[in-house]
Amino acid sequence: MNPKQIFKTFSIGAGLTLLFAFSDANQISQAKIKMPYKKAGLNTRQAAAHLLSRFSFGAKPGEVDAVAEMGLEAWLEQQLEGGLEDNAANERLKSMNTLQLSNETIANTYLTPPQVLRLAVKNKLVVRDSVRGQDKPEYREQIRQLMVQQGLKPFVELQTQLINQKIIRAAYGSNQLHEVLTDFWFNHFNVSLTKPQCQQFILTFERDAIRPNVTGNFKDMLVATAKHPAMLEYLDNASSVSDNNALAKNPRRIQQQQNLNKALEARMGDSSMKNNAIAQQLVNAKRVQGLNENYAREVMELHTLGVDGGYTQKDVTEVARALTGWAVKPLLDDGPGKRLLDKTNIDQMQKRGFVLENDFIFRADKHDAGEKLILGKTFDGKGGYQEGMEVLDMLSRQKATAKFISKKLATRFVSDQPSEALVQKMADRFLKSEGNIKEVLITMVESVEFWQTDALREKIKSPFELVISAVRSTNADLKQPFQVFNWCSRMGQRFYYYQAPTGFPDKASFWINTGSLLNRMNFGLAFATGKIPGINVNLLALNQNHEPESAEAALKTYSQLLLPERNQEENIKRLSAMLADKSVADKIEAASAKHPGDLAMDDTDAMSMNKNLNNKQQQKNDRNAMNRKDKPFTMAYQNGNNNTVSQVAGVIIGSPEFQRK
Amino acid sequence: MIHRRAFMKSGAMALFATGFGGLPNFIASAASGQKILQPYKKNKVMVCIFQRGAMDGLMAVSPFADPNLKTLRPGLYMSPLEKEGSLFNLDDHFGLHPSMASLHPFFGEKRMAIVHGVGSPNNTRSHFDAQDYMEAGTPFNKGTASGWLNRVAGLMGHDATPFRAVSLTNALPRSFYGDNEALAISNLQNFAIQMRNNPMGGKTVSKSFEDLYDQTSSSLLNKTGKESFDAMKMLNVNELKNYQPAKDVVYPQTALGNSLKQIAILIKMQVGLELAFAESGGWDTHVNQGTTNGAFARNLKDFSDSIAAFWKDLSAYQDEVTVMTMTEFGRTAHQNGTGGTDHGRASCLFVLGNDVKGGQVYQNIKSLAKEDLEDRRDLPVSTDFRAVFSNVAQSHLKLQNSKGLFPDWNGKPLDLMRG
Repeated sequence: MNPKQIFKTFSIGAGLTLLFAFSDANQISQAKIKMPYKKAGLNTRQAAAHLLSRFSFGAKPGEVDAVAEMGLEAWLEQQLEGGLEDNAANERLKSMNTLQLSNETIANTYLTPPQVLRLAVKNKLVVRDSVRGQDKPEYREQIRQLMVQQGLKPFVELQTQLINQKIIRAAYGSNQLHEVLTDFWFNHFNVSLTKPQCQQFILTFERDAIRPNVTGNFKDMLVATAKHPAMLEYLDNASSVSDNNALAKNPRRIQQQQNLNKALEARMGDSSMKNNAIAQQLVNAKRVQGLNENYAREVMELHTLGVDGGYTQKDVTEVARALTGWAVKPLLDDGPGKRLLDKTNIDQMQKRGFVLENDFIFRADKHDAGEKLILGKTFDGKGGYQEGMEVLDMLSRQKATAKFISKKLATRFVSDQPSEALVQKMADRFLKSEGNIKEVLITMVESVEFWQTDALREKIKSPFELVISAVRSTNADLKQPFQVFNWCSRMGQRFYYYQAPTGFPDKASFWINTGSLLNRMNFGLAFATGKIPGINVNLLALNQNHEPESAEAALKTYSQLLLPERNQEENIKRLSAMLADKSVADKIEAASAKHPGDLAMDDTDAMSMNKNLNNKQQQKNDRNAMNRKDKPFTMAYQNGNNNTVSQVAGVIIGSPEFQRK
Repeated sequence: MIHRRAFMKSGAMALFATGFGGLPNFIASAASGQKILQPYKKNKVMVCIFQRGAMDGLMAVSPFADPNLKTLRPGLYMSPLEKEGSLFNLDDHFGLHPSMASLHPFFGEKRMAIVHGVGSPNNTRSHFDAQDYMEAGTPFNKGTASGWLNRVAGLMGHDATPFRAVSLTNALPRSFYGDNEALAISNLQNFAIQMRNNPMGGKTVSKSFEDLYDQTSSSLLNKTGKESFDAMKMLNVNELKNYQPAKDVVYPQTALGNSLKQIAILIKMQVGLELAFAESGGWDTHVNQGTTNGAFARNLKDFSDSIAAFWKDLSAYQDEVTVMTMTEFGRTAHQNGTGGTDHGRASCLFVLGNDVKGGQVYQNIKSLAKEDLEDRRDLPVSTDFRAVFSNVAQSHLKLQNSKGLFPDWNGKPLDLMRG
């Protein structure tokens, strides 16, 4: 570290000390981060580039210098803290009107296809017995008008905004580490748009259960996810009930339930009900159900202990029993549950052990109040709601959990195979700090393993990381952010749609296969040459509107801009050889000779651009380039051609080096 | 031993030049006596079609002679007695759904076998779990890293081209997860470096990429990059556009029809395809399943017509190919309140090929009486899916052994394949 940097770090440290002096003395001692990158043989710029490649979605132009200047420790402290002004992202988010809505509003406004069908039936737009005819244009128009009248919207609008907000925040957000961690923890506690029962709640799941907790306490996040409607529905805990329940054992109730079931069974065979999808939902809703172990299993296997975490099938069943009654508060305005709840005296309910908290409800009448034995600890079964909370607390404190979470973090941030020693250090800190995620991350960057050469560039970017890093490193303008989603899908990451509770595997071999790799190269080309509609890249502006003199110069310039602090010699050598390849040049010349007019036009463009490099001219050139679709590709070695630059940038973005982080 | 890469390159160029017609001249000497698979040689291909969503086996192949069936599903029952739209009577007990008219002749020709009462010993009725278990091939272990088709690739005992294992899907299916290379691509046309309207630029750029991937220090990117470019050269995208199926063959314009057409192209291009995977959706018929018409019938017709078109299109290649279908579970024996069926246990599957001992329904089903049903509601699994998969794979692909194909399974394979 040079003296200037030491001074910077020191002064920012001093500033922080002042800030915290009035709050919490403990925090100051924890806030001093020591990053041993020198010990690992890195200079400050190299370390800054590495830190940015792991703790952000990619460095923006000049950001490596800025972080090196500010001090890596100060930057990380700021990022861990979060709360930086976020104007660039907010400006792009402000037209999205769903981001702050409640689950209740969403469930009653952004209708899923079955809800639309119900609405249509209710308004006699479809015959009750026929679910067909929905494809007819007149039906679609009628239903559209009806929805407009009633202020209702199709779910797909919410879904689009959910996807777009993730892209916008990742590309333009100032609190990059929070975005990276939101992505990480969402994937850890995965829920999926593919499951109809939970799809309306995924936006609020990320917003309310994940985002506020990403650097906080692990247990808080575990509890928040456990109680969120998205998770309760995704892993079926909302429908897991006990029949070993004193309230449910009330003879009158049992009789009522039996009569209801009988009536429903009888109606099932009734042909007049045959085509009524709603009847089936009613049947499903009212039928006595049993224990569902899905959430109990995954909360141990995937969220806390890990598959080798030392629990048994018996533990799974016992945890499922402890969590019976954890359900979603009735949210639908026209649903029977809501009407019942509105009539109910809440105080009375609470006296009977019910708990209402936001959209979570603990239903004492569905809870298994028997004794349980979980991971060797006996629960007397009298705890009701508190029993489930104790179970989650216990799971969050296990050694196996500390290790499992630490390993997953190290896998995301260090390498696909993090060292046992590093994981152990992080796990120790996890236990000591009672699951403080911030401290575990600090332990990670304070370990030399984070900085060692075998960790540098060792991770392969996920498709989302690839696209967003391309956007960030070129200051691209995402007019149609959804295009990012389409390309990520093509490259193998249809985010928010991963069906399994495991989330996407975090390893290179999952992302890289022959088909996906070609798509990555094609993405680079399409992106840099302006072929993706609604994504604008101004490569010349990136280079202060300075046109490189030659293809080789372009290669050097854009390698450094797109891949800061990477060794580019080999890249440049290889590609220069290609660019100078006489046989390739001849072929192009031959092709160009067939279209002499086009070549002349390209030359004109090139000349005028050299003379007059203002923005308007650039826009005109871009337009010309766009209009030139059917003409042969202008060659890389032609001096000063705009296409040369985009082609070179495209190759760099599609190159192996750019896939690494 | 000739290096695969060197061989592949020359082989690829030859294919480039000759397209579908005749054999490249030089190639006869290229790999003689080697264990390497010869791209110009016809090789055995197993095509698997996964029917996602759980197909109602009791409706596709209906045990109409069981008196319980009509009681359990009065609204869904069909018999072979009526004239129009009735079942094809297979053996006086089972009847084939009328939507399968295009495949029915193959049963008569003893080229198609049906296995009924097939499924997994794990009784999960979750689509996700059941598909996961079936594709991993380990019904009680989710932690199995590889898929069963990937393990098949590993057991073949010879080197492969990048097109040995191809899935016509956007993402690699669980069946193909694992260490042996497999390719997922939904449209073969996309298998190229794309510079729109600019083929010359595309070639230049493609060469740059190839060089870059050739020299990268990341072994994964290096290896996969090589494979990508080898594969791209073998598959002449320009030929795909001009593809003409065999005379009178019309593929349905559906996802499955399109997938199978592309598989036929790969087979005829002789690029080394041995394991192909395609998907068919829409089987989760909870509502308005219909009988001779309706959602199920439409879907089944697409399924049947796509396979029949594929089979006819193969023409001279039929001897090399076996098609096997699969689905994660069956559906409730009784119909539900919305004219559909819910998640059940056993279903049925189809195996088509000239080596198949066809013309019969392989089954071990007792009856549909309540006491014979699982949980008094579902057709129980009487044939383990692994007994079928192992038999077809081992016999058709001539696997030297099937050790490790289905770990933890000691069951006896079925015997529905000749030789």
